[in-house]
Amino acid sequence: MAEALAATHPSTEPVVRLEHVRKSFGDNLVLQEIDLEVASREVLVVIGPSGSGKSTLLRCVNLLEPIDSGRIFFEGTEITAKGVRLPEIRQQIGIVFQSFNLFPHLRAIDNLTLAARRIKKIDRKEAEARAHELLERVGLAEKARSYPHQLSGGQQQRVAIARALMMRPHVMLFDEVTSALDPELVGEVLVVMRDLARDGMTMLVVTHEMQFAREVGDRVIFMDDGLIVEQGKPTDVLDRPKEERTQRFLRRTLQLADSLEELTIEGRQGGVG
Amino acid sequence: MTLAVTYDLGSYVSENWEFLLRGLGRTLLVSAIAITGAFAIGAVLGAARAHRVPVLSQVAAIYVEVIRNTPILVQIFFLYFALPQVGIRLDVFTVAWLSVMVWGGAFNTENFRAGFEAVPFRFREAALALGFGRLRTFFNITFPIGGRIALPSSINTYIAVLKNTALLYVISYEELTTSAFQINARTLETLETLTVLGVVYLTLVWTLSASIRWLEGHLALPEER
Repeated sequence: MAEALAATHPSTEPVVRLEHVRKSFGDNLVLQEIDLEVASREVLVVIGPSGSGKSTLLRCVNLLEPIDSGRIFFEGTEITAKGVRLPEIRQQIGIVFQSFNLFPHLRAIDNLTLAARRIKKIDRKEAEARAHELLERVGLAEKARSYPHQLSGGQQQRVAIARALMMRPHVMLFDEVTSALDPELVGEVLVVMRDLARDGMTMLVVTHEMQFAREVGDRVIFMDDGLIVEQGKPTDVLDRPKEERTQRFLRRTLQLADSLEELTIEGRQGGVG
Repeated sequence: MTLAVTYDLGSYVSENWEFLLRGLGRTLLVSAIAITGAFAIGAVLGAARAHRVPVLSQVAAIYVEVIRNTPILVQIFFLYFALPQVGIRLDVFTVAWLSVMVWGGAFNTENFRAGFEAVPFRFREAALALGFGRLRTFFNITFPIGGRIALPSSINTYIAVLKNTALLYVISYEELTTSAFQINARTLETLETLTVLGVVYLTLVWTLSASIRWLEGHLALPEER
């Protein structure tokens, strides 16, 4: 199965490379001078507080967000250059969104086959055979005929992952894919992602799931204020963070687990009322 | 001499049914052309409006404003009596379907614009991310989803188009209403005339809306069925 999913890249060229990428929304600078590489078969996990720019960073990789300056490379090709046919590049970059974004008018199976049939001109039979294979892989073979609204959030997200895999992407981007899920549904999605990583898929994962970052990630990046503050092995970044901002973020993230009693809101003067 | 006031629907129908049927046929023909045309105009110009296609979007906006803010009667007169002055002479049949089609197209442009704009961006974004180009995203995502959202309001427009064909009376196009009043002019059986007209139009509109609602039931977004 692994060889069917992840195309092999014999070169040492990083799959994704960002060079001095800057991006702002109006006056708000969300990415300042980001440099980043994702190696083939690497699982790179990006963590950071909300508003730190990590989702924007992810969406810049396939240029769903246009950047202000800098350059982005995909397998050595500059995709920010003029005249690049973006749809063709995007076919090779899978992305899964926080809100699933399954096409509501199509059954699960057709959500998977639509792009393959309409863009790659694969005939229906062949596309459906592969779609069934992928649905089985994410544990949803029996839901092929269901519409998105008939599925739980976790199921929808697994269909969305399978849909992205249909295009045989060389890299998969995950944009907080478990953040909209009920807690008991998070696991089934993480399992699919873990297996994908084990099969050698190159992955860039924005997440709040520290356990996933620790166990599946090859490298962790901590972002704050549009900057990469710290990066390294998961155990180094998560257990022995060097930067004060990383320490503070991890403390706040893990704080809830200890006790609600000690929880404070930063910058608040005095008590409530 | 006294004028006998009688109400004899049976003999009215039996004496005039062939003539009325011919009128009904023309009503149906003109409506079918106009509804098909209004669908096409609405889909194309609605897309141009929703996606702000340069030039076409502005042209569509002016078209919609002019048609929606003038009486359809004036529009029919314009096509039939004013255009010949500038050398454009359309026969009565052309003016008949064209006028109601242009009217329906304007309303349908707004229906489809609203429908396309109501398609959440995240669905289009998902399509772009899969590698669909802009045009393919429109045909595969925005049109099927937005078209379904626009369906209920466009049904109302199609029904209005059908009813508006009665106004073609003013250019003496012999559709159902004109035919009926021609009989009336001869026989003065006004009550019978209007009874027949009322019953036939009611039946037509009910049939049309029932069939489109049946279609709607099959086409609506799965979660709304």
